[in-house]
Amino acid sequence: MDSSADEKRRSFEAEALPHLDAVYRFARSLTRDAQRAEDLAQEAMLKAYRSWHQYRPGTNARAWLLTIVRNTFINQYRRQQHEGTSVDLGEMESYTAFPEVQERDPEGKFFDRIVDEEVLRAIEELPEEFREVVVLSDLEDLSYAEIAELLGVPVGTVKSRLFRARQALQRKLYEYAVEMGYIKARAK
Amino acid sequence: MNCHEAAARVYEYLDRELTPEVALEIERHLEACPACYDHFEFQRAFLELLARRGAAIRAPEELRRRVEELLHKDQARRNTAE
Ligand SMILES: [Zn+2]
Repeated sequence: MDSSADEKRRSFEAEALPHLDAVYRFARSLTRDAQRAEDLAQEAMLKAYRSWHQYRPGTNARAWLLTIVRNTFINQYRRQQHEGTSVDLGEMESYTAFPEVQERDPEGKFFDRIVDEEVLRAIEELPEEFREVVVLSDLEDLSYAEIAELLGVPVGTVKSRLFRARQALQRKLYEYAVEMGYIKARAK
Repeated sequence: MNCHEAAARVYEYLDRELTPEVALEIERHLEACPACYDHFEFQRAFLELLARRGAAIRAPEELRRRVEELLHKDQARRNTAE
């Protein structure tokens, strides 16, 4: 058996495969569908394997793989599904749940009662521009510079999208917590 | 630095994206301002929730198996082609 092919598979298995969860999570947030996410993740991993020689050792393998996931999604999947309504990112108001809970739960303990699936659902309800930055930063722990490179936008754009994305998500989760009775709405 | 300026940088601070100088200015403000301190801790709890809940989403075993199988096949095919 070809030893360079062996070597390639070994290094791919050691450096890329451990990020399969991240690949799947990002695919899931892009497609918003478990089955399509699996297909997208599988396709992206195969592409990554075939272009593994282009990966520069020592750089962030996770960011490299997630770039392939996103490119694959844009090229092949997005056209097939309905485009979400595009929001004017500039017009969303500033929001934090903190003033609502400051007196009763300043540490945000009510967050702990919100289950995994609900957090995922809230993320999936965000507009795509917001979803991407939240997942790449908060779930996959990429730096602003890495996210900017991956999305092909300036760092300042990442910063402002992330700020607004987290605010929107926080509002959703707070409203959900109120609805579920995890925390009482502030008396008006 | 005032409360408004601190609040505008809360996420950059928590994400460790600020220069050491600005981060230090924030820390000085937080030491002197209990309201901002609480707000920053609240936002930290929120980001920790996202990271923790996010990590609970894992690739299905079936997908892991399929990907590994695909690599074997792809390599085998290339080896024969060479
Ligand atoms: Zn303050």
